Amino acid sequence: MSRRDSNQFILGFALLAALHFYVRPRLWDSRAAPDFLLLALMLVAIRARPGVAALAGFIVGIVNDVLTPASFGAGALAHTVVGYLAAWGRAVFFPDNLLVNAGLFAGGVVLRNTLELLASGTPAGQLSAGLLVWTPLQALTTAAAGIVILLLFRNWFAIRIEV
Amino acid sequence: MNRAPGRATSRSDTLLFLGCLVLSCGAIALPERLSLNLANAVRETALLPVLWLQQRAVEGRTSRSRFQALQAERDSAVLAAQSLGALAAENERLRGLLALRERTAMATVPAEVLHQVAPTDGRTLLLALGAATGVRPGDPVISPEGLVGVVLSVAARSTVAMSWGHPDFRVSAATEDGSVLGIVAPSVNTEASETFLEFRGVAYRDTVATGTLVLTSGLGGVYPRGIPIGRVAGVRKEELGWERIYRLAPLANPGHLGHVLVLRVPAPGELVP
Repeated sequence: MSRRDSNQFILGFALLAALHFYVRPRLWDSRAAPDFLLLALMLVAIRARPGVAALAGFIVGIVNDVLTPASFGAGALAHTVVGYLAAWGRAVFFPDNLLVNAGLFAGGVVLRNTLELLASGTPAGQLSAGLLVWTPLQALTTAAAGIVILLLFRNWFAIRIEV
Repeated sequence: MNRAPGRATSRSDTLLFLGCLVLSCGAIALPERLSLNLANAVRETALLPVLWLQQRAVEGRTSRSRFQALQAERDSAVLAAQSLGALAAENERLRGLLALRERTAMATVPAEVLHQVAPTDGRTLLLALGAATGVRPGDPVISPEGLVGVVLSVAARSTVAMSWGHPDFRVSAATEDGSVLGIVAPSVNTEASETFLEFRGVAYRDTVATGTLVLTSGLGGVYPRGIPIGRVAGVRKEELGWERIYRLAPLANPGHLGHVLVLRVPAPGELVP
């Protein structure tokens, strides 16, 4: 990876962090809003080895837990598994197709939310509301945001896409 | 960072994955006090810039969208306040006649809620409020609608509150007329589309009508008396002829709140401005 590529890669993640911590709370502060940190993790997982993706997932999860300390560690566990499986799945069968990538993002949200809700000991009522109402909505918005990010900035993240 | 396409996971990948899993499980197993302190430390150092950024975003949004709502609320408050002088004088006179002590004054500290996208957001709330405001763990958190929760931990620039949606939340409560006492806790088995509290420990001989307002009772010393919690929405369960559990529709929704007020309960001997 050249110096220019590295700079673009870092700039891309700075953009996602700004979207997550500034644009999202300013425009649409809802539980169905896209999760740009998870999107950043998935973009790392697409390119990195599964071990590195798991470590990136652990770090993103800890950030998540620190900001929402309902159950410390549950986010780290969920993001670690999502990062590892996304990188492993990508190595095994994911082609460079935009819609498949969107499916990967949506699947990541569903798996992350399921694991996090289960690991944090969520009561049955809240669990079903979280999994059946909010998770599908957030998966859709995150996938849509991921498509836009990939179309606009795929060169920054060095991702090959067949449009 | 690029890898050969189709290359399977190596042993080092598996070890790194297992290491992260073990660390995550260790974090889950940490005692709550330790995990809150750890979260505070990370939030107040490494995550301070992003917290600052989110706080600016929330301030920007609320100052734009809430101005008209605040103006309307202020006008209503001015109207309501016009009759308060006479009421306060009457209250003081009656207290004097009954030889009652003066009511303990409580200061309120406003705070913005920094919502996150995590699925557990709403069970705990991150407040843009620091230790300099004098807020302490155990202080009640309210909104104009009613009780939201209680402060869990306070750091230099941020505060974590436990909302009524947290499985560990409990508050001593009473009906509006004070005739029925019980404990309010989050419901563990509700429909996916509903979020309810439970009014537990109500004696079987007591009947609470649907629609009755339930307030904090003031027992236990954490929550002052008279903060609205919710309205009774029917009987949920009857326990073998000795207890009724009522469903309670909460008045405040922690997931949608932009601003809250923290009630500063004065420490013994502390003067409140």
